[in-house]
Amino acid sequence: MESTKFSLLTKEEVDRKWWEIGDFFRRNSLWMLMYCTGCCAIELPPAMTSAYDMERLGMGPMATPRQADVLLVTGYLSLKTLRRLIYTYEQMSEPKYVVGIGSCTINGGIYHDSHAVINQLDQYIPVDVYVAGCMPNTEAVMNGFVDLMRLIKSKKANGWKKYHKNNEWYKKNQIDSLGEVRVKDEFHD
Amino acid sequence: MNSMTNIKYVSSLVENRFKVIKKEIVSEYQISFEVDKDEVHRLLTLLKLEGWIQLSYLSAIDWINDNEYELVYIVMNWEKPVHVQIRTRISRENPSMDSILPIFPGCKYYEREVHEFFGVKFPGNPEYAKQLILEGWDDIPPLRKDFDPRAYSDAHFAKREYTETFVNLNNEKSKQVKREKRKERIIRVRKGGKK
Repeated sequence: MESTKFSLLTKEEVDRKWWEIGDFFRRNSLWMLMYCTGCCAIELPPAMTSAYDMERLGMGPMATPRQADVLLVTGYLSLKTLRRLIYTYEQMSEPKYVVGIGSCTINGGIYHDSHAVINQLDQYIPVDVYVAGCMPNTEAVMNGFVDLMRLIKSKKANGWKKYHKNNEWYKKNQIDSLGEVRVKDEFHD
Repeated sequence: MNSMTNIKYVSSLVENRFKVIKKEIVSEYQISFEVDKDEVHRLLTLLKLEGWIQLSYLSAIDWINDNEYELVYIVMNWEKPVHVQIRTRISRENPSMDSILPIFPGCKYYEREVHEFFGVKFPGNPEYAKQLILEGWDDIPPLRKDFDPRAYSDAHFAKREYTETFVNLNNEKSKQVKREKRKERIIRVRKGGKK
C-alpha cells in the first residue's frame, strides 16, 4: 500500500538531500592545506593555538592535498609558486575550497609592480573567500573561515564547479602569465 | 683577540701586495677593498691561504651612470672574525668575469645567480648559463637598472579593475555628521567641559 503522507522523491531531490547532509558534515570538519607562501602565514599560529583555537570550528591542518578540503593561500604568489599551487589545487579531491588571505592575493598588494609576483589570484584558480588586509587580523582570518562555512551552507562556495565550467578560460590565463604550467627545473627533469 | 687588530692585519696583508683602488672600513668586523679586475683571483687565493676559507656571498651592483657593473665577493674567516669584501668593476657592455671556481667551488651557484639576474658571463664555470631561480625567463635580466618591472608586470599579469563611482546600495543616510558630533563630545568631556 502506498503512503498517502510521503511521495517518492525524484533522483535530483535525493541527490540534493545527500549533498545537504554531506555539506553539513563537511563544513563542520574542514581540513586545511596551508600553502604558506607569504607573510600572512604568521596569522595562522595564533588562530590555530589556544588564543583563538580554530579546532572549536572543526578545522584542522592536513598534510596532503588529496585529503584536504580547503586550500589556504596566505600571501603573495611568485610565478614559481603559482606553478606548484596549480599542481596542488588540481590534486585536491572535490569538493574543494580556496581561501585567499592578504591583499596580495586580491590585487598584488605592495608587490603590484614586481616582475616576479602575480596580481590577481582568481584569474588562475577560483577563490571562494578573500580575507583583506596587509596583514589581516587573526579575528579577520577566523571570520573568513566562518564566512566560508556559511557559503557552503548556502551552496555558494562553487569555486570548484567554476573551475570545471570555465576550465579553458583559467587554462588560458595560466598559460598567458606563466608560459608553461609544467614545472621545469634541474630537480624535476 | 681584539677585533681592530684583525682589521689592521688584513689591511696590511692586502695593501702590501696589491694596488688597492679604494679601501673602506665598514665596521670593526667588516672591511672592503676595491681592486682591479685582474687581481681578484690572486687576492682571493691569498685570503684563502690566510684563513678566509668561506665564500659567503657573490653579487653584483649595476652602476648604470658609470656604465659599469660592480662585483662583490664576501669572504669570511672562522678564526679571525672579519668579513672581507672584494669589489671590482667590470664593463657593462658584454660583461664577463673569469670564474673563481678553482678557488672557491661554492661559487658555482652564486655565479649562476649573477648571470641570471645581471647577465654577467663567467667563463671557466661550465654551467653558468643554466637557469637557477627564474623559470623560463624571456626578457632582459630583471635586476638591471634599465629593466622596467612595472611594464613587465603590466604586460604579463592581469590587474584588478576598480570602478570609479561608488553607489550607496541600501540608501543609508550618511553617518558622517553624527560621527563628528560624537567625536566633539568626547573631546569636550576629556577636557572637562572646556572648549
